[in-house]
Amino acid sequence: MNTHASPEIIRTDNVTKKFGEMVAVDHVNYSLCENEIAGIIGSNGAGKTTFFNLITGYYTPEEGTVIYEGKDITALPAQKRVALGMMRTFQLTSTFDSLTVTDNLVLSFIRAHKKHSLFNLFVTPRSRHRNNDKIKECLETFDLQQVAQRDVKHLSLGEKRRLEIAMSILAEPKVLLLDEPLAGLSETEIKGVLDVLRLNVSKQTILIVEHKISKVEDFLERLTVMHEGKIIADGKCEECLNAPEVRKSYWQID
Amino acid sequence: MVNIFRWSWGLLLAFFCLFLVRVFLPLPFANEILIFAIYTIGCNFLLGRVGFISFGQPAYLAVGAYGTAFYLFYFGSNPFVGILIGVLSGVAIALLVGPFFVRLRSDYFALVNLALAVIMFYLFEKILAKITHGDNGLWFLTNMTSTPIIDLGNPSDFFIFTFLLAFGVWALYKYLDDSIFGACCLATKTNEDKLKFLGYSNFNIRWLAFVIANTTTAMAGSLYAVYFGFVSPEITAPSRAADPVIVTLLGGVGTLYGPIVGAFAYTGMKDLISGYIANWELFIGLLLVFIMLAGEKGIWGTLEPILKKLIFKKKNSTN
Ligand SMILES: Nc1ncnc2c1ncn2[C@@H]1O[C@H](COP(=O)(O)OP(=O)(O)OP(=O)(O)O)[C@@H](O)[C@H]1O
Ligand SMILES: [Mg+2]
Repeated sequence: MNTHASPEIIRTDNVTKKFGEMVAVDHVNYSLCENEIAGIIGSNGAGKTTFFNLITGYYTPEEGTVIYEGKDITALPAQKRVALGMMRTFQLTSTFDSLTVTDNLVLSFIRAHKKHSLFNLFVTPRSRHRNNDKIKECLETFDLQQVAQRDVKHLSLGEKRRLEIAMSILAEPKVLLLDEPLAGLSETEIKGVLDVLRLNVSKQTILIVEHKISKVEDFLERLTVMHEGKIIADGKCEECLNAPEVRKSYWQID
Repeated sequence: MVNIFRWSWGLLLAFFCLFLVRVFLPLPFANEILIFAIYTIGCNFLLGRVGFISFGQPAYLAVGAYGTAFYLFYFGSNPFVGILIGVLSGVAIALLVGPFFVRLRSDYFALVNLALAVIMFYLFEKILAKITHGDNGLWFLTNMTSTPIIDLGNPSDFFIFTFLLAFGVWALYKYLDDSIFGACCLATKTNEDKLKFLGYSNFNIRWLAFVIANTTTAMAGSLYAVYFGFVSPEITAPSRAADPVIVTLLGGVGTLYGPIVGAFAYTGMKDLISGYIANWELFIGLLLVFIMLAGEKGIWGTLEPILKKLIFKKKNSTN
């Protein structure tokens, strides 16, 4: 699968996750190379989010292993995976409602850029970081300056989504995993988000789950199609979308 | 520097008001409010900032009180050392039980703390009766030596000491609110999954918050012990377990000055109403129901925005 010369950063071997009788992710072998921009599509309930959850440590698989930079991280807790450079967003936007937009960014920034220690949790007040250049720049990029001081609970869905993506990008992770980052965004917002992602492309490996392929088609270098917990196609976007299996189960045309 | 001044004005103002209590009202009342407020701030922090409701705060209060009592009864006579030992006992118990308790969901957390309070009650009343003298309690008022400058045996000196201590405690909680840790606490309360996926350990943050809160609670226990010169298992009686929660709700959950206002209102009503009606708790109960139905903001939670508006308006008109 290694089409790039660059080394593999994430690999899953036969990962499986069941919910009762239902096999949500069924013996999936997948690998992602450094600096690759990859996407996963699939119909509702295909297992995309569950697969994300297995990679990022929300669930541990019943079977199989997850490898990150050559190390087995199957049993590693989620927060330690973040420390290794993995960052994700959630399908249902997930931010801290009772904090301001800036403080949401500060939390992400501190964890990623300062040495994570008791000292840093206590000694520097939040206000010290609020004027940080990186955070200001980030507010600007995501067009959030207007609401910077507002509590997140008062934001619109689109703003929350941009904030969540901003938080993940601000942490400058090695791998960025985005679960339907464009859902609920307007056309202009989508363009904005993709532009920012493009800026980051040279530095990061990105894996995007998206329901509607049309939005991200030009952006992706590689596409994987999931169906009923299995990978049914993997490769260049064009080829994938035309594969007979995919036509049948994703497009539902024969 | 400017920031420090801005936040400390509110703090100074609050404590100036608290000092007025001492001037205009009887000393025992002032002392009781101070200790009760310190007792409650831990509970308020846990509930308002970390999202944990605890019906077992008397357990930690008792550990602090007995830590101080054992020292003053058996070993030494310096009340300051007694208080220090009480506080350290609080740190120890919180470090010890914290890892088990903070894993629980908030509702189970409330109950497991209540269970701990019940255990403590029997521990101090029955199991350790040989050293705690059971229900008779430990009397050590006369064991305490008077210390120079501030003599804790003297109620008026005791007020000064407790007042300064309370000021320190509030400054600390104010500082915590503005720290990264404070943001982490709010974050773990509202969205622990997201916090985990930003790379923080919810467990560590909760444990730390638990230790800070219950150390403060134990400190209040130590103060009770020194103030009365007496400790009995009654201090952790399960029937009093909800007191700090009540005062927290009364004052306003998650507000900095809620515990002071709540302690003032609670103690005030207790002293005032119990003069007329025997069942003053009934009145508190009704008031709580009213507060809950009126939007769960508590007394301070309701007053704060109004006061802010007043002060803000004044500033605008002077500009
Ligand atoms: N926590 C859970 N408990 C039980 N079943 C679950 C759970 N999470 C997911 N499932 C089931 O697993 C299957 C895969 O779900 P998943 O959320 O991974 O799909 P998805 O590809 O992300 O779909 P969507 O496009 O709707 O987001 C679905 O049938 C879903 O009902
Ligand atoms: Mg999904």
